[in-house]
Amino acid sequence: MRDIGLVFAYGLVTALATGLGALPFLSVRAISGRTVGRLNAVASGLMLGASFGLLAEGTRFGGWQTFIGGLVGVLFILATNRYLRERHVHPGVATGAGGDGLRRMVLIVTVMTVHSLAEGVAIGTSFGGGMALATFITVAIAVHNIPEGVAISAVLRSNGVSVPRCAGWSIVSSLPQPVMAVPAFLFVEAFAPALPYGIGFAAGAMVFMVMLEILPEAYGKGSAREVGVIATLSMIAMILFQKVVAG
Amino acid sequence: MATSLTVFFYASVAALSAIPGGLVRWSAGPGADRWVGWAHALAAGGMLGAAFVLTVVPDVAAGYAAIGAAIGVALIVATHAITGLDTLDLSRPRPEDPTAAGRLVKVHALHACTEGVAIGVAMAVDLSLGVFMALAIAVHNVPEAALLSRATRRRGASRARSAALAAISNIGQPGLAVVAWLLIAAAPWSLPWILGLAVGALLTLVMTELLPASYREAGSTSIALLASVALGLVILFSGILS
Repeated sequence: MRDIGLVFAYGLVTALATGLGALPFLSVRAISGRTVGRLNAVASGLMLGASFGLLAEGTRFGGWQTFIGGLVGVLFILATNRYLRERHVHPGVATGAGGDGLRRMVLIVTVMTVHSLAEGVAIGTSFGGGMALATFITVAIAVHNIPEGVAISAVLRSNGVSVPRCAGWSIVSSLPQPVMAVPAFLFVEAFAPALPYGIGFAAGAMVFMVMLEILPEAYGKGSAREVGVIATLSMIAMILFQKVVAG
Repeated sequence: MATSLTVFFYASVAALSAIPGGLVRWSAGPGADRWVGWAHALAAGGMLGAAFVLTVVPDVAAGYAAIGAAIGVALIVATHAITGLDTLDLSRPRPEDPTAAGRLVKVHALHACTEGVAIGVAMAVDLSLGVFMALAIAVHNVPEAALLSRATRRRGASRARSAALAAISNIGQPGLAVVAWLLIAAAPWSLPWILGLAVGALLTLVMTELLPASYREAGSTSIALLASVALGLVILFSGILS
């Protein structure tokens, strides 16, 4: 029971971190596209570094299982994305301005909410890989959530929503994280042989999500060199971070 | 136990795999751009996999490796700035730009050198890891050489000449593989530094060149799929083969 509470708490922390994305809008009237690009680059690097940690852990239990889990994770994001696209939702609209304001606001919160289902699974399954890994995955996802909160807030704020409400909607979009983290954790606990599948799923979903949405978004907002270097350094920092505490 | 000759042999095999890549026949149709993106995505996934394989080498001082990685990032950025490659759009070398093909050869040579260091480090860690790394780089070299020969053939070079050029520009691969291997053999303390340097350089090439170029040519779904699956396959086979 204590573990379940802990998993829920970790998930909740990452959800609350999303609310921090609204803070820059207290001082800045409009956050520049370049800054959103840089934040996305940091998030991409941290998540890729976290995925490397997951993959290192998963392959210790079983290479094939991790690989298959990874493929399922990729398919999961692919299916979610297709479902949203059929409804003409694309995260790219997140930082665009103008247009049908209300519809866009509903869309961005919906997109981010569905994304955080996968992130919740990543948190839950990462507990199977040990506390150190879980802490880092949580930190990575929490940090990654901040630019997501920025993206959400950028859309809401430009439509006249107040900063506290921007923070509130950002957190709401991440609430599936604690909710999904618990069953994901229980599943991993109950079915130890499924652990590499679960870890693979989380890594595959994360790598694919980064490459499908976050990186292209970042490259679209800044120079490839700047975004690439920021992402690389963030990734190296994340890998070091995991090794130092785990080792 | 690897010897400098085995290192040279396997790194040369990897370098020569550019020849089949260089012989690939590119269609001139409008759909060809997507293939350019897909080739970049495959190369990116393979390179990420190579970096991953090095990050899981056990008993490496992580702090030194991280400093080495930061140096690797700085080296690539500096090389780009010095050679003027930072202004080159990999995916769209304009046909009217007479320097584009020549600069692509430089890009190719820089990639080859970085990959050579990766092979040398892997060989120094373990022969089977080194052989695996050489094979992974060999596979990665096929789409990379195909991209290079596309540019040189647009400049009027024949297929055979383009393939030969792709292979020759890989000369840094066996060269630096042996240098890295010899350095580590002579001074084992340098292993984490050189390993980190290879990881940092590989990741920088993926993030600043291969991935951004791929997104410009094809949809992000196909790019993300190919790069993720290529990464997954390299990791899977690294577990099976070494």
